[in-house]
Amino acid sequence: MDNKNEQDLRFLQLRFIGKILAGFTHEIKNHLAIVKESAGLMGDMIKMGKTAENESQYLEIIQSIEEQIERALVHFTYLNRFSHRMDTSLSTFNINESIEELTALLHRFANQKRIRIEKDFQKDLNPINSNPSMLQFLVFNFLEEAIAKLDKNSRIVVKTEVMNGSVAIRVIPEGNVLESDAEKVLCPPEITDYVIKMLNGNISRQGEGAVITLPVKAA
Amino acid sequence: MKQENIKVLVVDDEEDFANTLAQRLKLRDLKVDTAYDGEQALSKLKEMEHDVIVLDLKMPGMHGMEVLQEIKKDYPDIQVIVLTGHGTDKEEEEARRLGGFDFLQKPADIDTLERRIKAAFKEKCARTI
Repeated sequence: MDNKNEQDLRFLQLRFIGKILAGFTHEIKNHLAIVKESAGLMGDMIKMGKTAENESQYLEIIQSIEEQIERALVHFTYLNRFSHRMDTSLSTFNINESIEELTALLHRFANQKRIRIEKDFQKDLNPINSNPSMLQFLVFNFLEEAIAKLDKNSRIVVKTEVMNGSVAIRVIPEGNVLESDAEKVLCPPEITDYVIKMLNGNISRQGEGAVITLPVKAA
Repeated sequence: MKQENIKVLVVDDEEDFANTLAQRLKLRDLKVDTAYDGEQALSKLKEMEHDVIVLDLKMPGMHGMEVLQEIKKDYPDIQVIVLTGHGTDKEEEEARRLGGFDFLQKPADIDTLERRIKAAFKEKCARTI
């Protein structure tokens, strides 16, 4: 049974990584397209002799290029951290940071349906010792399922808090559930249960949402 | 054919991209307007008919394919050039099936885009004669 779960888990993890990369490359391609058009616009203006009288416009275009590069760098930072979370199966990490990074990388998918992912993080959470990439995988699955089921213009709240000596991560979808997608399951419960067992935690499903609890093993 | 008579609508949720591309096309004497999502594009078409639409696919709210379908239903002569960063062969096939004039990858070479816009306008004129 575990062997079958392992195989399914590998497949779903690859799917997860693929989805994160697709969102990331989409984001970066857009920034690069803006940079290319902005540089092209300056080139057009120079070729057409519109230089001195358009100094302020040049400065605006340069500022826009800088902003695009800054925005792209933020995404590169998120992807870099996301990738390094897979370096080891156990590490000490900040849950809020790991979820922040995940939601940033998933923002574009949610935005396609104008779904807002809102964070309600307990600020003073201690770092925990666990498997950060597996935790991201779990949260991703509940977020992805909520995005698939919710109607346009909904919201998903992701809340973190210390609860009875554990850390709880709540994924709370808020909005109309599309009837046709109500039964949609992208990741079978036996896989999420299998993963949470590896993390010594617990999952309780509440309506369309879920609460993941992990033991606090302070570093 | 006078290029300044060609009315182009650039539809893209990346506002900076839409605005910069619009400025470049305006420098080439095209009459260019922008819309930042599908709903806005359809409402702009109700206000003023455009000749050629340069349309992104992955946008919040209405997907570009839905927008293309709506445009071709209500304004069959308007020509639509899909300009997307993530076009697959399947999407290109679908866009052409829905009546799209062309399918370009973003960022496109500006001279190529200008040529395709002119060709699309020519097609529109031929259809309306």
